Amino acid sequence: MTAAISVEHLSKVYGDIRAVDDISFSVESGQVFSLLGHNGAGKTTTVEILEGLRNPSSGSAQIFGVDVTNGYHKLRKKVGILPQDFEPFQRLKPTETVEYWGELYDLKLSKKEIEDLLASVDLSHRLNVLAQNLSGGEKRKLGIAMAMVNKPELLFLDEPTTGLDPKARRDLWGLITNLKKKGTTIFLTTHYLDEAEVLSDHIVIMNKGRKIAEGSPREIISKHGGKPTVTLCGAGKKGLDELGRQGIEASLQDDDVLVRVADTGEIKDWVAKLAGAGVEVKDMYIKRDTLEDVFLYLINPENQKEVAQ
Amino acid sequence: MSRIIADFKAFGREYLRSKGGLFFTFILPILLIVLFGAMFSSNTSTISVPVQNLDGGEASVSFIDALNKTGVIKVEIIPSDQDFEQYVKDHSLTMAMQIPSNFSANLAQKIADPSAPMATVTLFGDPTKSTYQMAQGAINGAVVAVNFNIAHAQPVMAMQSGTLPNTKDYNYMDFFLPGVIGMTVMSVSLYSMTSICSNYRTKGYFKMLSTTTIRKYEWMTTKFFVYSIMLTASLIVSYVIGVVAFGMTSSLTLLTFAFILAGVFLFIALGMLLGTVIKDEETGMAITNAIGFPMMFLAGSFFPVESFPSFLQGVAAFLPLTYLNNGLRDTMVYGNDMAALGNLAIVLAIGIVIALAASRLMSWKED
Repeated sequence: MTAAISVEHLSKVYGDIRAVDDISFSVESGQVFSLLGHNGAGKTTTVEILEGLRNPSSGSAQIFGVDVTNGYHKLRKKVGILPQDFEPFQRLKPTETVEYWGELYDLKLSKKEIEDLLASVDLSHRLNVLAQNLSGGEKRKLGIAMAMVNKPELLFLDEPTTGLDPKARRDLWGLITNLKKKGTTIFLTTHYLDEAEVLSDHIVIMNKGRKIAEGSPREIISKHGGKPTVTLCGAGKKGLDELGRQGIEASLQDDDVLVRVADTGEIKDWVAKLAGAGVEVKDMYIKRDTLEDVFLYLINPENQKEVAQ
Repeated sequence: MSRIIADFKAFGREYLRSKGGLFFTFILPILLIVLFGAMFSSNTSTISVPVQNLDGGEASVSFIDALNKTGVIKVEIIPSDQDFEQYVKDHSLTMAMQIPSNFSANLAQKIADPSAPMATVTLFGDPTKSTYQMAQGAINGAVVAVNFNIAHAQPVMAMQSGTLPNTKDYNYMDFFLPGVIGMTVMSVSLYSMTSICSNYRTKGYFKMLSTTTIRKYEWMTTKFFVYSIMLTASLIVSYVIGVVAFGMTSSLTLLTFAFILAGVFLFIALGMLLGTVIKDEETGMAITNAIGFPMMFLAGSFFPVESFPSFLQGVAAFLPLTYLNNGLRDTMVYGNDMAALGNLAIVLAIGIVIALAASRLMSWKED
């Protein structure tokens, strides 16, 4: 795989504030890459540098081998962008919007091409409705159609699902998955960790302008997450005492008994052992740390020293 | 060029579908023309003057009759048994006249003995108000006529009204229409562009546009064309209504259209300049109102700048709309194209300076 994006020691400074502080990463072609971080972590500044909208204070950022600071104009026809808080032009219909946006890329799209593009974002039934009358999810889909009008090799989606209802979010996930299948590289920023975990091949987590973790969702969870836990629902104090008598270390949380498994490979054995321990339970399940658990752990100031190591 | 056409089509569609844009471009100037036309074109308006006649003699009745015959004043009688001050207060009068009880006697005595005191009437009110001044003029005229009549004298001098050579018989609407056109060009271009710039910034349209192949000057050119076409259409509609409904006789010259283009250029540039410093729509509206609203009145859109106090005339000289209004009147009303060209040059010069500043300061990107 070749790098679609290559970022080296990138920094952006506003007075005393280091919005982006010496970060480096690369995005391979055809990947879904997610940049994560809480508000003010420096995600949008990083994205906007990559989109040619801001100049970095130091370091370099390249897209397809072209430096974005000086050569973004060479990339315009290869890149599509959906900005944060996107709103379409209120008094244009989706067909008019896509036609207009195509012409701004010097493309003369046929009626069929416009309708096909809108169909690909599931807007076939809303072709001739003024954008101001579209729902939030439909507006975001129209934004993605606009971003795709030039058939980009790289698509930036800055918080594409913020404010959408669960169904609209899932629809957009499907859309992103389809785009990936077609070979489009997708650069995603999002607040929703479940979204990043499901969609991403590679993730960078930022905190206070710095990169604090990088890897696939599985790698990050494996490296920074806690051990899996077998939860015995409703076992209560009685269950805890019974396990104690059998020499099994456990803890009580509300009415549930939690057994932490030291070695992930032994989960199956532990489940069997606990099932035969004679403890009365309503349900039993295994809980692993999610990307969200790991994210919250990583950005917790108390864990910063450990994370840095 | 294809990008200008594309942006022109999209922006034009949005504009034509905007109720606010159409209201300020077409409906507001028509409303102003109709309202002001109805107020100022009528020659039958008279001023009501409440009069209390405490005298009741033949001379005072004749004087009231003379006032009614001026055609300017319509006398309304305050009953003589009413307390004058209380009546004024109860009826919220701003002006009233009182004829004293000794009016006829004093008049007769003055005729018999020139050294006797004069018979007088008193007009109460605010002398700075135009209605008071009009009533004062008419009453003075009636007083002079009565004096001539009693003295059996004939006036030997009179003033005649006439039109200047090479000019037509203009009415107030001829003066008013260029002001409304100037005001519409200013308000539509300035308010819209400031609003568009802040709206495009807050909604991220500028960022999006900067990632396409359209250039800033192409985007600006589009706005100039759309507003020029819309405001030219507005000018023609306003002119036709002025001619048909109010008998306007001013002319629609080629220079008039040049002023529309120059005015649009100047005020969209000013709107863009303001848009570079305004970060949101609400602040944009406040700042634009603070600039546009006083300019509308102080630049002589509705009343001649010459009628303002001298310090306000000084302020008007610094307002670009003053030169647009003056130029439109020069070419449409007075037929003075040389003076109009001078004003056009000033409008263009201010426009070029502002446009250069706006294009230098306006950035679609963030710093």
